[in-house]
Amino acid sequence: MSKLFIDIGSTYFKVAHEGEIEQYFRDFNRNIFDDLSSKCADLLKQYEAEDIHICSSANGGLSTLIIGLTNSFSLKYAINIAFNSGINIIDTVLYPKIEQEPVPTEMIDVVIVVGGIDSVENVFDEKLLQYLEKVNYQNIVYVGTQKSVPFLQEKIGNLVVLENVISDKLKIQEEALKTYLTDLYQEDIMGKEDIKQLYGITANQIFSTPYIVNRSLPRINERLDVADPFIVVDIGGATTDIHYSRDLVNDNILTESGYDRLVFKKLGVFKSRESLVHTAKNNEFVFELLEHLNVTENILEEHSEKATRILMQLAIFLVLYKVSKHHASYIELNLEILNSIVLTGGITKVLTQEEVDDIILFFYKKILHFHHAPKILLDHNYEIWTYGIKE
Amino acid sequence: MSLLQREREIIVNNEYIDRFDFDEVEEFIKGASKDLFISYKFRTSDHMLVQPRGGFPTYDKVFQLYKEFKEANVDVLPLTIDSNTRLNDYASAKKMLALSEENDVDMLNGYPLVNHGYRTTRKMITHYNTPVSLRHGTPDARLLVETALASGIFEIEGGPITYLLPYSKNFPLDKAFLYWKYVERVCANYSKLNEPINRESFGPLSATLQPPAIVIVIQILEMLLSLEEGVKSFSVSFSQTGSMLQDVVSSNVIKKLSRKYADRFGHKDATINLVYHQWMGAFPRNKEHSDSLINTSTVIAAMVGADKIITKTRNEAFGIPTKEANAMAVANVKYTLGMLKGLPKVGDEEEEENLTNEVDEILEAVFNDGADTLWRQVFNSIKKGYIDIPFSPHIINANEVITIRDPQSNIRILKKGNLPISEKSFAFERSKIKLAEGERVVEKIIQDIGIML
Repeated sequence: MSKLFIDIGSTYFKVAHEGEIEQYFRDFNRNIFDDLSSKCADLLKQYEAEDIHICSSANGGLSTLIIGLTNSFSLKYAINIAFNSGINIIDTVLYPKIEQEPVPTEMIDVVIVVGGIDSVENVFDEKLLQYLEKVNYQNIVYVGTQKSVPFLQEKIGNLVVLENVISDKLKIQEEALKTYLTDLYQEDIMGKEDIKQLYGITANQIFSTPYIVNRSLPRINERLDVADPFIVVDIGGATTDIHYSRDLVNDNILTESGYDRLVFKKLGVFKSRESLVHTAKNNEFVFELLEHLNVTENILEEHSEKATRILMQLAIFLVLYKVSKHHASYIELNLEILNSIVLTGGITKVLTQEEVDDIILFFYKKILHFHHAPKILLDHNYEIWTYGIKE
Repeated sequence: MSLLQREREIIVNNEYIDRFDFDEVEEFIKGASKDLFISYKFRTSDHMLVQPRGGFPTYDKVFQLYKEFKEANVDVLPLTIDSNTRLNDYASAKKMLALSEENDVDMLNGYPLVNHGYRTTRKMITHYNTPVSLRHGTPDARLLVETALASGIFEIEGGPITYLLPYSKNFPLDKAFLYWKYVERVCANYSKLNEPINRESFGPLSATLQPPAIVIVIQILEMLLSLEEGVKSFSVSFSQTGSMLQDVVSSNVIKKLSRKYADRFGHKDATINLVYHQWMGAFPRNKEHSDSLINTSTVIAAMVGADKIITKTRNEAFGIPTKEANAMAVANVKYTLGMLKGLPKVGDEEEEENLTNEVDEILEAVFNDGADTLWRQVFNSIKKGYIDIPFSPHIINANEVITIRDPQSNIRILKKGNLPISEKSFAFERSKIKLAEGERVVEKIIQDIGIML
């Protein structure tokens, strides 16, 4: 029996069946369910609830605060698991400096506390409790040393305790936290009226789209001419995701998937336009880049189709820059050994292959001093997500 | 165009490659001299082939090295690749090659084949018209192997397990399997044009107290992964253990079981050869002792009936050997082998039975994994610790197995971790171990590692 796949985005929803993919621009005067039902009524009737699979990025994801003992292990592992679970917004607190750390003002969906292997004692104390008192959060999960569990359970209400993400051999143990976060995501979207109604047409769990995209990457070369190691850059309206092959990084994390995810929450071309422009203006290469594109700085203040195209090109450049060795951040990708770059998301509807090739070659020449760039593919058909939702 | 070919086009479209002409390479391999193929040499030789190790950064130095080797009557030439190339860091290799050429100082520990390119390298390979073996240690060897084959190098060493777990800390193992699958397919395709391309697995692993059962399991699995992609000529290998008896037993079992499993998986037409590595552990600083060690391992190679021996030099403890020392080692090994013809076949029934059982038990667990492909069954087995290489630096390796030597210097399994061997097999291992009163295991391990010092 064939299946029906639906991806709910903030601008479009996509429907895949029998090898065909159709896209529908969202009608913002209607809720998602009504919009979908009106546009795809005949199609929805053809499928049983068990054969309809849905993923969504329309609810904005969960906001997460991670409190960890060290950057090298607890924070790194928890960030990696959170990203790969489709979590979008992450702030981190290094526990030894918790008294100096600012307290987030917005509501946090889930706080993750992590630190120490199971034999380590006395990791957390009153400082944690004092900090948490000031944080407005809905869920809290503990994935650190088991020796601290009695103390934390006594002091923190509704604390969920899971398997330590750090094994005794300092290896990552991702399964328990990953399952918890993906389930939490599902609870979150079930709480949103728009999405809740979708459970009327599917009997399957609704996952986050980034999680599904990440799951699809091992299969990507069956459909596209992609050679590992590759990255998938998903530039959307609010955020930019990079899914990268794990052999592009040099760290000690060994996860189930060969691909990890990284999110730039302020690199989007619509909702995050201001922060994108701000980031661009603060980049040392931006003026050479604008000159290369044959535009002036004024384009950044314009609101035109041309300005949008330039912003999209800027976003591609900036995201590559942010993961290159020239920019110290959470992840540094070895872009020198990259064989393919796949672009998906809204930009593939706007930019031409030539415009994308041009900006990536500029990056490779200017930043890496290469004469040629990896093979670049545009997921014009928005089909990558369909490979992952089939599982 | 096939999926593989499309991937190949992407791989060779690289910053450091001058235009890669697949048609020209195919024509070259079709018409290449049979003397360049070690598979042909294995088939037509009546003696054990002798192959040293060696590689320098510059073309001229490798050319001179080969000249020395040829004068020492070498059978197979080596091409050892530098560390930067092994890590796909062609930019650093390029810089260091330039410095090496400008200053006549070796700034690399091997030959940066990708940077030299196949057109240049091929001149040297065809000039000497002798089989060349590619020695590297690269998890992602796709571009390197494309360049090697295009250069006329028709023996490719390595594999997804043996070139990853002993060499790397965190390169993803699943990626290594897929990258080596590409290598196997390319080798298999070229094998149809002339004599078969030979693939050789790297048996020494971490060269530190490796239990023969693990070595043989990995050799057989890499062989099966290679043969299933269409490779027709494969060499299994292992290195001197430090016990003559254990070497003899290992050779008998590896020969028997590699054939058995190749046939069982439908590869009756595949040729399997045995390669023996001279001592791969720490060498003594006393050069006379090194000579004795090398001679002894040559004798063992003859006893085990290896098809090829890979030599060491008396300078091993002091760094990269000079071309003269390397050539002298080849000449001496050839001389010793000349005295070792017609040796009787020896063995130890009880030891062979136990080793055979251990290998069968581990392989049965691997093949019973629920995955739908062999590589994933092997991958899962490594994750579960069914295959566990002592002293591997890689984070995926369980590192639960502990081995020490028994009073006869045989390597024995003291702690089996998750190895799926039977209680009977494990009891046999444990029964051979004799720790002195008050002797600590860690001290025994250190002593056993330095057995030749």
